[in-house]
Amino acid sequence: MDLRITYLYRNLSRNPMRTALTSAAIALPIVIYVLSFSVIQGFDDFLDRAAKQLRLCVTQKTSIVNPLPTGHRRKIEFLDESKTRILSVCGLRWVGGKVGDKPQLLSTMAADPDTFLGTFSDYKLSESERANWFRERRAIVVGSGTANQFGWKVGDRVSIKPSLPPYKEMDFIVVAVGSSENDPVTNFFRADYYEDVMKEIGGPTDKVSFFFVKCATKEDLTHFTAEIDELFARTPDETKTQDEKTFMNSFITQQFNLPRNLTILAFTTIFVAVMAAANTMSMNIRDRMGEIATLRSLGFGRLGLFALVQTESLLLCVGGGVIGAAIPYIAFNFTPLGRMNVPLIQTLIVEGSMCAQALLIAAGVAIFAAMVPAISAARTPLVTALRNME
Amino acid sequence: MALPVMYNYRHLLAHKTTSILTMLVIAAVVGLSCWLLSFSNALESSLAVAADETKILVLKQGATSESNSSITIEDFHRLDQLTGVARDPDTGQALISPEMMVQVFLPRVRDGGKTNSNVAVRGVTEVAFDVHTNVRVVEGRRFSVASPEVIVGVQASKQFAGLMIGDTVALGSGNDRAFTVVGHFSADSGPMESEIWGYLPALMNASTRESYSSAYVRVKEGVDPAEAIERITGPSIELKAETEADYWRFQSLGIRGYLFVASLLAAVMGLAAVLSIANTMYATVAGRTQEVAMLRTIGYPRRAILASFLVESAILSLAGGLLGCIGCILWLATVGNTKDMFGFFTFTTLAFEISLTPKAAAIALVSVTLVGMGGSLFPAWRAARTPVVSALREP
Repeated sequence: MDLRITYLYRNLSRNPMRTALTSAAIALPIVIYVLSFSVIQGFDDFLDRAAKQLRLCVTQKTSIVNPLPTGHRRKIEFLDESKTRILSVCGLRWVGGKVGDKPQLLSTMAADPDTFLGTFSDYKLSESERANWFRERRAIVVGSGTANQFGWKVGDRVSIKPSLPPYKEMDFIVVAVGSSENDPVTNFFRADYYEDVMKEIGGPTDKVSFFFVKCATKEDLTHFTAEIDELFARTPDETKTQDEKTFMNSFITQQFNLPRNLTILAFTTIFVAVMAAANTMSMNIRDRMGEIATLRSLGFGRLGLFALVQTESLLLCVGGGVIGAAIPYIAFNFTPLGRMNVPLIQTLIVEGSMCAQALLIAAGVAIFAAMVPAISAARTPLVTALRNME
Repeated sequence: MALPVMYNYRHLLAHKTTSILTMLVIAAVVGLSCWLLSFSNALESSLAVAADETKILVLKQGATSESNSSITIEDFHRLDQLTGVARDPDTGQALISPEMMVQVFLPRVRDGGKTNSNVAVRGVTEVAFDVHTNVRVVEGRRFSVASPEVIVGVQASKQFAGLMIGDTVALGSGNDRAFTVVGHFSADSGPMESEIWGYLPALMNASTRESYSSAYVRVKEGVDPAEAIERITGPSIELKAETEADYWRFQSLGIRGYLFVASLLAAVMGLAAVLSIANTMYATVAGRTQEVAMLRTIGYPRRAILASFLVESAILSLAGGLLGCIGCILWLATVGNTKDMFGFFTFTTLAFEISLTPKAAAIALVSVTLVGMGGSLFPAWRAARTPVVSALREP
C-alpha cells in the first residue's frame, strides 16, 4: 500500500514540468467554468426569485414600449371581486433615468402608491418605512445595487433625471432600500407625484407601461394569464400577460442570450481540459510501458494497474482543479472584485458549492482523460512489454 | 543547412495520439476565437456604417434613445433656425427628416417562431431618403404615401417572419392596421437594415401618436457638425443632438462589454492551449535527446535544431487551427449564423449575420501559429543545447 503511494508521488514528481503544465492547463478551464456558471447561477437565482412572487406582468400586446390606459387596473381587479385570488394590482410607469452625468441608465418606475407595497410584498419594509411611503409624496424605494453605487441611504434627498417626459431632474426622498433578495437595480417612486409633474408640463397622463398583478396561488397565476388577455381582446388596448419569470427571462435571452453562450463557452473549455489531461496521461503511460510490464510481472493485477493510472490522473486533475477553483473563489470573496458591478445580477457571487461542483468536473475530466491510457496499461501484454524495454 | 520539413511531419505521425490530442486543444480554442472574432466583426461593420459624421441625430433632451424620445411638432420646427443644413439641389428643401420610432413584436425565423423580438418601425417622409443616403430599395419599390405600405430592411426580412414582399404586417398600437410589404432596402449593412419603414403620417395615425421621436439633420459639406450640435443643444432650440456614430457607440456599450469579457475568457483558454503545446513539445524533445545529439554530430547546427522544433509546433498549431476554422464554419452553417442584439436603451433589435471572413480566419491562423511557436520556444531551446557527447553515451 505504502509502496504504491510512493510510486504515485514519484510518478508525478519525476517530470515536474509536465505536471505543472498539465495542472495549469486544467486549472485555467476550471477558472472559466466556475466564473461562467456563477454568472448563470446569478441569472437563475434572479429568475427563481421572480417566479416565487406569483406575479403576472401585463404589457401592451404589440410592444412593451406602448403604454396601457390606467383604467385597465380596475377592470383587472373586477375579475376577482372577492380579492382572494387577485391580491393586488399595481400599475408601473417606466421612466429609466440617469443620475447627474453618469452614463448608466437606471430602471426607475412610477408605481401606484396605494397598491405598490401589497404587490411588491417581497420588499420587506418596516412599519416606519411603510408609513413614510404613504406620507411622503416624493418617496422612493431604491434597489440595493443602485443605493450602493451612489451611496444613497434612507432619508437622503436624491435627484434622478427621467429618460421620458418631463426629461428634467425630479427630487426624491429615499424611504427604503431593497434587500439583496430584491431586484437590485430597480427603483420605485409614487405615481401621483409623477402625474402631477406631467400635468404641469402638459405631458401625457393616465398611461402606464405595465401592470404587475399579485396572485394568491400558482393556479390563479395560470388562470388569470389567459383571462386577462381575454378580457381585453378585441379592444383598442389589447394586452399580453406573462408570469414574472417569463417576462424577465425574455429580457435576458434577448440581450445576447448570455446564459446559453456562457454554457457553450464553459463546455468548450472543459473539452480543452480533457484533451490536455488525456495527452499528458497517454505520454506518461507511453514513457512507462516498461515499468508497467515490470509491475505486471511482479504480480500486480490488471485492476490494480487500471486503478493506479486513474489515481495518478485524478491527483493531477483535482490538483489543477483546486487551484482553478480557488482563484475565482478567493478573487470574488476576499478582494474588491467581489463588489464589482455586473448588469442585472449586480455582483458576481462565487459560492463554495459552485467550486465543489467544479472539483467534481475536474475529477470527471481525470477519469475520462485517463480511460484509454489506463485500459492500455491494464492490458499490457507481459512478454512484449518486457521485450520492448531493451 | 536546415532539417527537411518531412522529418517533422514523420515525427508527428509517429506519435499520433499526442499529435491529435494537442491539435484538438488548439482546434477548440481557435474555433471559439474565430466565432468571437466574426461576431465582433459583424457588429463593428454594422455600426461602422452608421458612422456618417455629417448626419446628426436630434432627440429630446434627457432621452437616451429614439425609442424613449418624444419631439413635439413645435420642438421640430425650432430646427428651422438651424444654419449649415444641406439642401436638396432641386427643390431647395432643407435636409431635416422628422421620424417616429415604434416597435412591433415579431417571431424570429431562426428558431421557427418560438421566440419573438422587438423590431423597430420607423415612420419617415420622403426627405429621409436624401438624409439617409445609404438607404436604397434593392427589391420591389418604395412605399406609397397614399396607401398603407411599408418597406423592410434586408436583415429584418431575413430574420423575422412575415416580412417578404407581398406579406402584410399588423402594426399600430392595437396591432390592427394591416400594412403591405412592397419592398426591401439595404443600408450598407448598417443598423437600419433591421428596421421597417413606412410613411410617417400613416404610422403616427396607426400608433395614435401626436409627436415625432427624433429628427435627422444632414449638415452641408464643409460645415463642422460640432457647431450644428452646439446650436441645437443651445438655448434657442434646446434639443439633444449627437452624431449618429456617437449614438450607436453608446447604444452598443452593453454588447461590447459582453464581447470584452468573452474575449478575456477566450484568452485564458488560449493560455491553456499554449501550456498544452509546451507540454507536448517538452515530451517530444525529451524523447528525442539521442536523435538530436546524432543530428548535431553529423553536422546540423544548433539553430537548425531550434528551427526544426519550432517548425514542428507550427505545423501542429496550423493543423489544429485549420480544424478549428472548419469547425467554426460548420457551426455557423448548421447552428445558424444570424444573431440579433437587443438594445437595452433602444428596446429594439439589431440583427446581423455572422460569417467567418478569410481575413478573420487568416488572423486566427497566424496568431495560433505564433502562439504555438511561442509555446515551444523553451523546449526547442533546450533541444538545441543538448550536450552531444553525454547524450550519445546515455543508454
